[in-house]
Amino acid sequence: MRSVKEPGAAHDGFSDWYWQRLSAVVLLLLLPLPLFLLVSVYSGSLDQQSLLDVIDHIYSRVLHTILILALIVHAYVGLKVILEDYVHRIFWRVPLIGAMLVMMTGFGIWWLALIWAWA
Amino acid sequence: MQHQLKTPERPLSPRLTIYRWQPGMIASLAHRASGFALVLFVPLYLWLLRGMTGSTEQFDATSLWLHSGWGKLFLWMVGVSLAYHFCNGIRFLCIDTGWFESRTAMRASAFIVLGLTAVIGLLLVVLL
Repeated sequence: MRSVKEPGAAHDGFSDWYWQRLSAVVLLLLLPLPLFLLVSVYSGSLDQQSLLDVIDHIYSRVLHTILILALIVHAYVGLKVILEDYVHRIFWRVPLIGAMLVMMTGFGIWWLALIWAWA
Repeated sequence: MQHQLKTPERPLSPRLTIYRWQPGMIASLAHRASGFALVLFVPLYLWLLRGMTGSTEQFDATSLWLHSGWGKLFLWMVGVSLAYHFCNGIRFLCIDTGWFESRTAMRASAFIVLGLTAVIGLLLVVLL
């Protein structure tokens, strides 16, 4: 990075790179929490009521929301970069990236609705 | 001079067929592959979340499925993809901040990450 003299022709590649790293750090910190919950449930040391008590808590919901937003950003930028690298025809690339954006957003809204709908 | 303006058939990035396979290249490609795999499992995560936070019957059914053969296969595939993506993600972040940037360090860290994933994969087979 230190030796980069010329930015790319598009001049906006840095934002993809930056958001990818920023969301990665958020996921690095937050993802172990739900993984720990999943392992606890799988091993039987956490029953459903205890699980609901944990994830219903307001702190859990806020952290969960940040996690899902970071996940959406991370997955979107990651898939976008993959599509930009391997799909060379603009005719396919642009609709594919658009469709992916719509699917990711839909997934995120669905997930957030589930989290916040719990009584 | 008209003929010079025509774009010749040149190889497009990423030039997988041109470069010799290296540990760092395998690590990068596996990062994409595992990331893509993790996205493909998104509907299952939603289904899991719904099942686990739904009625008691739904919770029991979800738990039963997770302990079945397909459930274990799913957990293993997601587990290995996530373990790799997580470890190599940390490696990428280190490289971005300027640590382990040398050729030998990048090669060694790629081997470490790939080896670590293999170990986690074996551990998951035993533990699941």
